[in-house]
Amino acid sequence: MLKYTLKRFFGTIPTLFVIITLSFFLLHAAPGGPFDMERAMPPQIKANILKMYHLNEPVWKQYFLYLGNILHGNFGPSYVYRGTTVNDLIKQGFPVDLIVGGFALLGALLIGIPIGIIAALRQNSPWDYGPMAAAMLGLSIPNFVAAPLLILAFAVALRLLPAGGWAGGSPLFVILPAVSLGLPLIAYVARMMRGSMVEVLNSPFIRTARAKGLPEHTVILRHALRPALLPMVSFLGPAVVGVITGSIVIEEIFGLPGIGRFFVNGALNRDYTLVMGVTILYGMLILTFNFIADVLYGFLDPRTRHQ
Amino acid sequence: MKPRWTGFGILVLLGLLAGVVLALTACAPPASSPGVKMQRFTVSDRPAPAAEQILRRQISDSPRTLDPSLSEGVPSQNVLEDLFEGLTTITEDGRVTPGVAKSWNISNGGKTYLFHLRPDARWSNGAPVTAADFVYAWRREVNPNTGTEYAEALDPIVHARGIVSGKMPPDRLGVRALGPHTLQVELNYPTPYFLALLSNTYLYPLYPPAIKKWGGAWTLPEHMVSNGAFYLKQWVINGHLTLAKNPYYWDAKTVRLRQVIVYSISDPASALSQYLAGGLDWLNTPAFPTSDTSWVRRRLGKQVVVVPYYGNAYLGMLVHEPPFNNRDLRLAMSMALDRRVLTKDVMRGLAVPAYTLVPPLPGYRQPVPAWARWSRARRLAAARRLYHLAGYSTSHPLRVKLVYPTGGPSQRQFMEALAIMWKQNLGADVTLWNEQWKVFLQNIQYKHAKLFWSAWIGDYPDPFTFMQLFQKGFAMNYGDYDNPAYQRLVAAAQREPDNAKRYRLFTQAGRVLDATMPYIPMYFYVSTHLVKPYVGGWKSNIMDRHLSRYMYILAHRTH
Repeated sequence: MLKYTLKRFFGTIPTLFVIITLSFFLLHAAPGGPFDMERAMPPQIKANILKMYHLNEPVWKQYFLYLGNILHGNFGPSYVYRGTTVNDLIKQGFPVDLIVGGFALLGALLIGIPIGIIAALRQNSPWDYGPMAAAMLGLSIPNFVAAPLLILAFAVALRLLPAGGWAGGSPLFVILPAVSLGLPLIAYVARMMRGSMVEVLNSPFIRTARAKGLPEHTVILRHALRPALLPMVSFLGPAVVGVITGSIVIEEIFGLPGIGRFFVNGALNRDYTLVMGVTILYGMLILTFNFIADVLYGFLDPRTRHQ
Repeated sequence: MKPRWTGFGILVLLGLLAGVVLALTACAPPASSPGVKMQRFTVSDRPAPAAEQILRRQISDSPRTLDPSLSEGVPSQNVLEDLFEGLTTITEDGRVTPGVAKSWNISNGGKTYLFHLRPDARWSNGAPVTAADFVYAWRREVNPNTGTEYAEALDPIVHARGIVSGKMPPDRLGVRALGPHTLQVELNYPTPYFLALLSNTYLYPLYPPAIKKWGGAWTLPEHMVSNGAFYLKQWVINGHLTLAKNPYYWDAKTVRLRQVIVYSISDPASALSQYLAGGLDWLNTPAFPTSDTSWVRRRLGKQVVVVPYYGNAYLGMLVHEPPFNNRDLRLAMSMALDRRVLTKDVMRGLAVPAYTLVPPLPGYRQPVPAWARWSRARRLAAARRLYHLAGYSTSHPLRVKLVYPTGGPSQRQFMEALAIMWKQNLGADVTLWNEQWKVFLQNIQYKHAKLFWSAWIGDYPDPFTFMQLFQKGFAMNYGDYDNPAYQRLVAAAQREPDNAKRYRLFTQAGRVLDATMPYIPMYFYVSTHLVKPYVGGWKSNIMDRHLSRYMYILAHRTH
């Protein structure tokens, strides 16, 4: 098990390195630089600014300089938000995404899993068709449509919740963004749970359990649930990342100060360090959660360990 | 047998349903649904109690920096105006009025200014604002090592240009502290708009100890020292800024707001929702999506304020390269546009037709070309004649690419309308080409685009801020216009101390410009606002500048 874990862990490092290198050079290849402004600057000033940020050096030199910095955990200064470091921006923005994404995911699991189980147990009944139809609808309505509808209903018409803003993450301000982000997820979780549950319920060991005359709730809770939850584990890794990175649209609609907006603004304004910082963070998240999912999976399902 | 719903059938049905929902939401912005009741207010004419004196306003983007020397762009300006104050400042309706300077003498033919600073002007830590603070700030602004983005704004000051280009040390700048409260400024030429310029961000004083101690981090709320009516309490980038009343401000007794919360919201639809939900008191341009204009006007009535703004949008052209090295063609292209249709129908009244470069300004006579007043038929006939003279016809149409930066859907519609007008009125084939902002900038700077979108917002209420755009050597003269008669007239106007004569010279220069047509004027900007009826002390003005120090909340009830 330890060998497996270590192997997986060291496998992530080259991947991260490739991500950093590729995005660094792609970013610098994009036309225009962070200090190409509408009002062209006097050449002397521009030269000084470029020197200040080492942007006058050859790109390969900048690359090694940058690698050296990130090895020390220093993502560098932001070019667009001058006087601010990328570390500060991430420190400010990331908790926003964690809170919104965390609640969205938690809600999706708490609601989606029971719905999926019930649908699987009552296959081909209204208990199955109804929720599954609703899930289909939830999946097909993108959150940039759901969010304005929710705002219209709960903020503009009923005036129960704020239409946007963050207010340091006070609960009222978190509800609508988290719901908008979580709705399609509920649907996804429910459909996945139903699928795996149906599969498990048709397997021989459940038939055996039933043949032994075990009461139905013991069959479901003790024998069927654990294997049926397995696919959920491998889904969770990408889901956490998806929720955090997928919140860019939600951040824009609700005016949240998360890193998604930094990412977009940074890319549009060629804020190299900011975009790199967020890319690395996203990359690390994806690798970490996939790693955790892999390890957990290995733990839950012995077959993967020996392959 | 009874027909049963199959899983497939239900899926198809739901798919249709989802399609309908999508179509509905795509057509109508959610907030404009007819069933939603708008908030109503009963407003008294008394200010609300002190505890309620909090203004919640919006800016269109997060400020890039709160360092007045480094700042550029409207969002930074909106916030800095509340935090700092220059030698002059502006009134509620945008006129220049004494700020830190309580009076001044102008001598030497308008080239020397002597400012007398208020002894009671203070920094937010209680220290007095001195003439040396201005000297420090201005030298820092022109010092090429500071890396400021708009040092040219100080060009009128003696030696500013030499210092910016690194040929002279910053202490040669024509500004001197003659005493703690006396400041002398030497200008290169009489600059009648200098007093207006002084109210801008890049000429604010700075508190040297804070910058020396904290470096780039001095703009953080815990370190910043400012001299305006408010000080910075909290700053969440892309979120909000909280400004609190500065008790040391020299005119603090007239400031009624206790706090100003400034939200950065870039999406106008989101801003509108938050305004309708009661989370914001005042929305600034763009206060709502262009497509919602008629609905907003109908439902919000007097809360909607649309007024002229000192900016213009035009198309630039490379005037030394074919096909636009031909004046007849340029004129034909300009005359072929139905500007009334563009502004009234395409832009839904959120623009003013433009036939010349400089937007309307009190005291300045716009040189409007004669064809602007012709009937449509006569104008188009003349345009077609010029088009043929330039060597184009239906069998040999002009084919050119119009390059513009990616904007919202309304921008796309506007560009399409232009192309259709040229096609219908002249038979020209203009293809539209949009590019991401930075790509666009690079392409016009490297002269890769022959016909391109341009826009300019005036920095101060004077025609020169626009006239400089077509001066030889000016960085934003992307079309490389170079006309000796125009150069001479603008230069003469710059030397002229009498403002009336000066404006007349600008009008003449404008005539030269419109006769040679190195650009295609399209429209003048308007600013759009939504202002709750309980916001007092808010007035519209052409520079679209609104200081929170004049505003207050009126006692009101919401239904």
